[in-house]
Amino acid sequence: MVEGEDRMIVPAFLGDLGDALDFIFHERVGRGGAQIGGSQVLDLTVTHLELTLAAMAIAMVVGLPIGIWLGHARKGSFVAVTVANIGRAVPSIGIVFLFFAVLGAGFVNIMLALVLLAIPPILTNAYTGVREVDPEVVDAARGMGLTGAGIVRRIELPLALPLIFGGIKISMVNVIATATLGPEGGVVTLGDPIINPSTYGNAGRLGGALVVAALAVAAEVGLSAVQRAVTPEGLKSAGRARARRIRFPVTKRKVAPTS
Amino acid sequence: MDALVLAQSGSFFRDRSGDNSCVANNGICPRWAIDHFDRYVHPFFQHLELVLISTGAGFLVAFALAIAAHRRRWLVGPVTQVTGILYTIPSLAAFFLLLPLTGRGNLTAIIALASYTLLIFFRNVMAGLDGVPEEARDAGRGMGFTDRQLLWRVELPLALPAILAGLRIALTTTVGLAALAFYAGAGGLGEALASQKDFQTNIVLAGGLCVVMAAGLDALVLVAQRLLTPWSKARTA
Amino acid sequence: MTFSDTAQAEGPSPFHEAATLEFRHVSKTYRGTAEPAIRDLSFSVPAGDVCVLVGPSGCGKTTAMRLVNRMIEMSDGDILLDGRSVREWRPAELRRGIGYAIQQIGLFPHQTIGENIATVPRLLGWDKARIQARVGELLELIGLDGDMLGRYPSQLSGGQRQRVGVARALAGDPPLLLMDEPFGAIDPINRDRLQNEFLRLQGDLHKTVVFVTHDIDEAIKMGDRIAVLKKGGVLAQFAPPAELLMQPADEFVEDFVGADRALKRLALQRVRDIDLWRAPLVHVGDSTRAAREQAAHSDVPYPLLVDANGRPLAWLDEDDLRGERIEPGAGSPVLAIDADDVLRDALSELLRSEVQYGAVVDRAGRVTGVLSVEIMHAFLAPETKGDLDTAAFERRTSDHA
Repeated sequence: MVEGEDRMIVPAFLGDLGDALDFIFHERVGRGGAQIGGSQVLDLTVTHLELTLAAMAIAMVVGLPIGIWLGHARKGSFVAVTVANIGRAVPSIGIVFLFFAVLGAGFVNIMLALVLLAIPPILTNAYTGVREVDPEVVDAARGMGLTGAGIVRRIELPLALPLIFGGIKISMVNVIATATLGPEGGVVTLGDPIINPSTYGNAGRLGGALVVAALAVAAEVGLSAVQRAVTPEGLKSAGRARARRIRFPVTKRKVAPTS
Repeated sequence: MDALVLAQSGSFFRDRSGDNSCVANNGICPRWAIDHFDRYVHPFFQHLELVLISTGAGFLVAFALAIAAHRRRWLVGPVTQVTGILYTIPSLAAFFLLLPLTGRGNLTAIIALASYTLLIFFRNVMAGLDGVPEEARDAGRGMGFTDRQLLWRVELPLALPAILAGLRIALTTTVGLAALAFYAGAGGLGEALASQKDFQTNIVLAGGLCVVMAAGLDALVLVAQRLLTPWSKARTA
Repeated sequence: MTFSDTAQAEGPSPFHEAATLEFRHVSKTYRGTAEPAIRDLSFSVPAGDVCVLVGPSGCGKTTAMRLVNRMIEMSDGDILLDGRSVREWRPAELRRGIGYAIQQIGLFPHQTIGENIATVPRLLGWDKARIQARVGELLELIGLDGDMLGRYPSQLSGGQRQRVGVARALAGDPPLLLMDEPFGAIDPINRDRLQNEFLRLQGDLHKTVVFVTHDIDEAIKMGDRIAVLKKGGVLAQFAPPAELLMQPADEFVEDFVGADRALKRLALQRVRDIDLWRAPLVHVGDSTRAAREQAAHSDVPYPLLVDANGRPLAWLDEDDLRGERIEPGAGSPVLAIDADDVLRDALSELLRSEVQYGAVVDRAGRVTGVLSVEIMHAFLAPETKGDLDTAAFERRTSDHA
């Protein structure tokens, strides 16, 4: 199944892992006769990212304004908490299958399922971020003549950015993970080698899992860097000092944002 | 896996044949749900078992790590990073990354799900311990508590609300993730979902059972929290 | 019999109701710092005394206190409790025998008031009945209702919490009590009340107390002995309050006790404790000539008319002495000053009544002497080293009155 010269590239002692790495970097013929591995993995990755980014873009367009508006108005905490809790409890695979069962297979349908999964963390983190801005700061801004939109743009958004990006990061990692289920709805993502081992074999399955894991970790690390970059300088040290003083940081807030 | 696919399509046809038009039209059919409810009982408990075992295991490991890191602060960074990676790796990928080591079955699913909860528990236990008022710690030490007595009689009880908040997050998330465990051969409600993935009634019913399980476990922890931390109720009263 | 043995054996405390405390050349240098936080600190506190450690922030007073129960380990020297080094006990066991109360109180939020107070008795392994009895006793001692026992700290007021903190520190009946600014976070009115309550308690209990504060007024009020520390943990002076005010050891102490230390002394000393003038006492019916004679040889130029029981009636002047005999109803009103008053209050009464002399009376109302502005001046003069002229004195006292 594997050509001798290719075998040389990855040390044999890596065993299954070696075989999986070989699958990622070199094309081979699958059981059904199709070309798999190598550049085909790249195709799968591109589809995977297209699906992920499309879903994320829509989720942000929907979730961010609602979250920011609710946080600015300082109301709707019930909505935010409920969305957060339901978002956690509904199994992602259930959403994907539900969209498949109701709308049928297809890129758009599966993407919509992912949008639904991506919205809760984005919305609740945006809500919490804006909501947690010190009311005295907002009051001072109002006292200096800033009005609604100005307060959001000049005060609340900059201070809420770290949490907002925290939410985007959670959704992103989550969507990358769930996009793996794409083949269940007819979208051939990196989940294909994982879910359909009949074509890909064990090497393909492990290789696919490796690439998905790498994507998720890369998204986490990359967005964490962005999160740090958008944190206002003044908040970095103050945030740390505050975190130490807050007594029950997890329970005190109704919505526990994960950053 | 091939056998599984065949079995799925087999049951798929059997379910639809000879039933009323609701089922044939792929609608939401309460009657079908009631008639076939028994087939969800086993997956439900299988699912519950998976959730409880992996959450429990995750808690024990994370708790031990947090206790260790509480006195040796330098551990916090490395432990957060390692558990952070485990938290980030998609469960589905984790199942198959473990496959060469642990094979198909419950063990793989449990390890993957438990490792996912480590970060949640670790962070919350640490936050709870860090949130213990310094003056309570100082007073305790000044009155003659040993470090161990201080930990078990003062610090951990005070950290309990944060720890239980972590438990709630971990339980509800694990219920959702355990729906993927059937890919690792561990059954559960995910298997029921996948067995007829284009039949709406099945999806709603199996998915709904997941939500019910999550809500039920969440409520249980909430009740436990009320009972175990009477002082936090007194605070707000 | 070691302390740890008794702790486990639920026996009586190995100390008497109060222990002596001695600092012997104690030094503390924190790791990574060149300058010591405490430098060669030596003093000793007799059993049953309140020793106040006072000084500006950063003088190491809290550090010095925490060395006693080994919350901080000393670098050099020794601390003796009833003659035995604190190093002879394991820290946790040592601490169970020493009461500990801090400014932030540190009540355990997850335990009821009863459980909080029972902390040390539980650690000492007392049986349930004894703990319950002790908790009830302490609750009464600090004047809280029994139904407070089941409440949580968050349900109490600041003053109540502070009282519970003191009760908890006393629970194991320790011979030594460490108190780190215990009333520091309380508003001034309640602080005064708590201070008085504590003094009353201490009057009954006679514990040895180490009391840390940055407030010199509190130190003077609470302390039998005051240790003034300056930066770097150097002992500037160790003396009873009156001595501290009268003879500050150096410029630092003089500065620290404040420019108004003369007035502070007035608040410390009672009228009966100072030398009063003898009053020229006369009765109705006495000859005016004899009265004039008496007044002439007295410190007070006016005869003081008293009744048969020696209670003051009036000051008599020339007009009142024109007749042969002293008539009833003659003279001008007398300001009576309680011998138990502190000098500050007595002076303030003199100034308010715009009189020069006050008749000092005992509890029965009998005149025991005369207090005058001159006496006050003389009382304050020695420690002011003569640099306080009368004008300045009057200006300052009237500012404060």
